[in-house]
Amino acid sequence: MKYAKKAGYYLATILFLIFTVGPFVWTFIISVTPDYAIFAPTSKMLPESITFANYVELFSGSRRGNAFFKGMYNSMRAVGITLVIGIPIAMMSAYALSRMEFKGRKVIKNLFLITMVIPVMATIIPLYRMFAAGKMLDNIFWLSLVYVSSYLPMASWLISNYFATIPKELEEAAMIDGCGRGAAFFRIILPLSRPIILSVTLIMFLNTWSQFQIPLILASSMETKPMAIVVSEFMTKDSIQYGLIAAAGMTALIPPALTAMLFRKYLISGMMGGSVKG
Amino acid sequence: MKKKILPYLLLAPMILIMGVLVFYPIIATFSYSLKKWKLTAPGDIHFIGIKNYLDIIQSDSFWYSMQNTLFILVFVVIFTTLFGYLVASFLNVDVKWSGILLSLSILPWALPPYVNGVLWKFVFFSGYGFLNKLLIGLGITSKPIEFLGSRWTLLLVISIVVVWRSIPFMALVCLAGRQSIPVDFYEAAKMDGGTPGMIFRYITMPLMKPFLAVGITSTSVTAINVFDEIVALSGYSDLGKNILMESYLTTFTFLNFGKGSAMTYIVMFFALILGVFYLRSLNREVEY
Repeated sequence: MKYAKKAGYYLATILFLIFTVGPFVWTFIISVTPDYAIFAPTSKMLPESITFANYVELFSGSRRGNAFFKGMYNSMRAVGITLVIGIPIAMMSAYALSRMEFKGRKVIKNLFLITMVIPVMATIIPLYRMFAAGKMLDNIFWLSLVYVSSYLPMASWLISNYFATIPKELEEAAMIDGCGRGAAFFRIILPLSRPIILSVTLIMFLNTWSQFQIPLILASSMETKPMAIVVSEFMTKDSIQYGLIAAAGMTALIPPALTAMLFRKYLISGMMGGSVKG
Repeated sequence: MKKKILPYLLLAPMILIMGVLVFYPIIATFSYSLKKWKLTAPGDIHFIGIKNYLDIIQSDSFWYSMQNTLFILVFVVIFTTLFGYLVASFLNVDVKWSGILLSLSILPWALPPYVNGVLWKFVFFSGYGFLNKLLIGLGITSKPIEFLGSRWTLLLVISIVVVWRSIPFMALVCLAGRQSIPVDFYEAAKMDGGTPGMIFRYITMPLMKPFLAVGITSTSVTAINVFDEIVALSGYSDLGKNILMESYLTTFTFLNFGKGSAMTYIVMFFALILGVFYLRSLNREVEY
């Protein structure tokens, strides 16, 4: 019985690994397979020779390589702006929603939260018009602000749940000792909230890195379009270079994959926080 | 007095951003949906009531997309829940390499959905992709199957990719649920002679319910909002389009802003129903 259980666990591990890591391994194999061999009519899994030509093309300043890295750079800039604007605003709202009693608190909270289920298309048509009229299309700042508007409900919900777990007495003690509300926030609450702020930062980073549908409509210039859009253009242009797409995909995965590996703890507590109170 | 306005001051930036970039557009989209409004005929924009909606529900193309949407929704919810629960049970086992398994398990969630679509496109490629090589190697089929070339297999592939990306969140929600159940409950049940089936039915299930509710509603929202994977797997073709894709094409390819807006509102109606459940399931936990 004990052996059966152990064997079952090992089998589960193998299946888990095949389904989780398999697609990455396969895409990596495609990325180092010579173009002529990629879809050669053979049932052999591994190519007879390997080549790094696709990575060389990507990294050596070819036209497509440059477009790809420009896209990565654009994505990074959007991440920066999103975080600088999003995190402080989420914290202010979270503080008000978790620490203060005021009229309309519940309504405001629920109105914010329900926007999380609304499809991008429900807001993007007027946004497109607004941006076109205000010459705000193809502008990373305004684009990032739209991202922020889609992250704020989740971010302030997660942070306010966390704030709610910090005992009020700590703050009150600081205020009795002569701190104002602001000083008490910066000296007591902020240092204690570091883990959740890191979680939310990472989640915002990953979400911005993933953006596709919003920039598809609001950002079409070389100067603004993010990585995912550039990769998608490799796919639809006249000649489809699958090897290059695979290499680009693998390269684009590095930042989020590293983040998931290094900051697992914070990501998981953030994800769980979305389902569990405090 | 000062105390009374402070919370509103703190909320002001968020209210401003959400008001201008989310709430105003939602209302504007509704007003567009009641207008005849084609970018190809900019001089002819006027109120037509619910005609856009009537046109939509009478078009075959809408029902085609609706079927696709429902197919993806049902498939994704069932299999994400099932596998999410299984993966959670698997991750709950404490072994030396638990940390690595956890890291790997969140990868599909952490990656851009578009790139996920690309990865799986290579697996399901209609020519000699991974799965076709495997099937031919095993002698199950003699020539490659066009997975991405026919409607139902394409929808199946889209759904599988979305399930793959949704499992991590579901698994972690289930894991959070399982870990919230005190070990004493299980021990007491075992002492009283409870069978594994009874323990699952009378202890695990009822206590997991609020967690599953959050997981299932948020998975449903993901499933009706699928877009990136469809583009990655089949481009902007009509074959695997869901309502969201149809609304995108109507608006930005055929430049019919009125009809596109109406179509979006139909998706939103379903999303909002889910949203109410979502809010309920999130708020329920506050009480306990």
